[in-house]
Amino acid sequence: MSDTPILETRDLTKQFGALTANDRISFSVSAGEIRGIIGPNGSGKTTFFNSLTGFYQPDGGTVLFDGTDVTGWKPFRIARRGMGRTFQIVSPFKNMTVRQNLKAVHTPDDLDDKEARIDEILEFLEIDHIAENKARGMSGGQQKLLELGRILMLDPSCILLDEPTAGVNPALEKRIMGHIRALNEQGTTFVIIEHDMSVMRAVADSVTVLDQGQNIVEGPFDEVKDDPRVREAYLGRHADDEGVPI
Amino acid sequence: MSAERTDESGQRGLRARVDAFTAREDAWKWTFGAAVVLLALLPLGLNSFWTRIALGALMWVGLAQSWNMIGGYAGYLDFGHGAYFGVGGFVTGIVMVKLSLPFIPGLLLAGVAGAALAYVIGVPTLRLKGSYFAIATWAFAEAMKQLALILGITGGTFGMSLPTAASSFGIPIPGGLSETFFYYVMAALSLGTVLLSYLVLEHSEFGYRVQAVRDDENAAESLGIDTTRVKRQVYVLSCVIAALFGSVYAYHITFIHPNDVLGSLITDQMVIMVLLGGLGTIYGPVVGGLTVFLLSRMSSLFLGSSTIYLPLIGVLIMLVVLFAPSGIVGLLNGQTSRADVKKNVHELADKFDLL
Repeated sequence: MSDTPILETRDLTKQFGALTANDRISFSVSAGEIRGIIGPNGSGKTTFFNSLTGFYQPDGGTVLFDGTDVTGWKPFRIARRGMGRTFQIVSPFKNMTVRQNLKAVHTPDDLDDKEARIDEILEFLEIDHIAENKARGMSGGQQKLLELGRILMLDPSCILLDEPTAGVNPALEKRIMGHIRALNEQGTTFVIIEHDMSVMRAVADSVTVLDQGQNIVEGPFDEVKDDPRVREAYLGRHADDEGVPI
Repeated sequence: MSAERTDESGQRGLRARVDAFTAREDAWKWTFGAAVVLLALLPLGLNSFWTRIALGALMWVGLAQSWNMIGGYAGYLDFGHGAYFGVGGFVTGIVMVKLSLPFIPGLLLAGVAGAALAYVIGVPTLRLKGSYFAIATWAFAEAMKQLALILGITGGTFGMSLPTAASSFGIPIPGGLSETFFYYVMAALSLGTVLLSYLVLEHSEFGYRVQAVRDDENAAESLGIDTTRVKRQVYVLSCVIAALFGSVYAYHITFIHPNDVLGSLITDQMVIMVLLGGLGTIYGPVVGGLTVFLLSRMSSLFLGSSTIYLPLIGVLIMLVVLFAPSGIVGLLNGQTSRADVKKNVHELADKFDLL
């Protein structure tokens, strides 16, 4: 992990009418880091992802990615710049095969052999045996791996994952986590929204806690989980419980 | 019992052979080659009347295929597609009648006009989704019809007559402008459209991106796909093809009227053909186009009514939508199984307390 920030926001704000979903969020992720984003339901995590990746136009603030101000860029331009993302609800192109799903991705101009890259990714994710299967017939877990595979076709320097282990069995969860670690060791930065705190503890270098659209605290998981502000966010004021429910 | 087994195994054998053939990489070349030979030889065994029927069937297969590009592969239900057919016809008519040019420049200009119009209309309308896009394109088609009805250059409410002389084609034609000549022109255009769909929309990266837009536009955008550009490209492509068909149709029929070539029935038929055959498939528009067109012609020929086919088509569409949403092709290739159909029948019967 380097000290150079790859992804930064300054006072990022997104409003829906009277509701401020993201309220002047500033955060910075170093290149090579795995950053977790946690917070209760409705705290603005997915809105934050959507603002980072261009799906929402922020009402204020800036998004800096790899030294470039990408605020207001269209999502496809941000993706081509090297920021990949998944969605909360798994979204494969269901009428296409696994291989076609990967072929559809806009790959970097300097990629010489797209087919070879596809084979490499399918092998890495251990889904090469279903390369010619239609995505619609695949299990939820396989679809999650396919989503990750598609993102890898972008050759991204930063990947944003929205609940990557939601609804998957423990064995597959372990596999997904293994892939994340392996990619991270190769230098890919991750920002992960996750409700499973054991996953956060196991994989994240540090976490950012959002509550009511605000960045309330940041730091290593074990420090953050005992922070009274975090307990309050999850359990309400005057809670007697100890920390984030794990 | 034994006969049943024989039948089942026979069916399995046939299905296995069909699957083995379609799995071959060169299957499409054989299929397309066979279609070319068949269509080339067909007029030899047909009189002028049946050649005309075949010509019409080919035109509708091609038109349905063009609608399938935007409606089926991209998932944008274009209810104004017929307008490009009419525009193609009128541009050709204007070029030939007002500018006294032969047909070929008229055909080319019909394509150019179709592309330009589709680009201009596509920019605002393709920002809309679902029924909003359908309504906007329908309104555009209605506006085009009303415009053609009041403009002098299109002949207004009187319509427009096109030249019929063989010399008006632009190059010498052996045998003159016969029914067979137009049959071959329409066959070439229709086969070209099917081939283009196969190569560009089913087997190219561009085609995968078009289908990605249909399956999940946000996911496509997040994978670096400029969805606005992809949608515009496929929309222009599909509209140019409709305009080219309109051009050939106008030259063949020699008289066009806004209520006919710009009427909403043109689009409606395309939509029905594709829904019936199978949305977003290569064979769907072929099967649907042939079924609907031949049903309409056969009903007027054998039942003496040119409208009796409409309720028949209505019933067919209802059956398809309710029980086999992937169309006739989906039933044939196993996308909708017998079990799916049975399940759909039972679900509906339960809903209305019919069982």
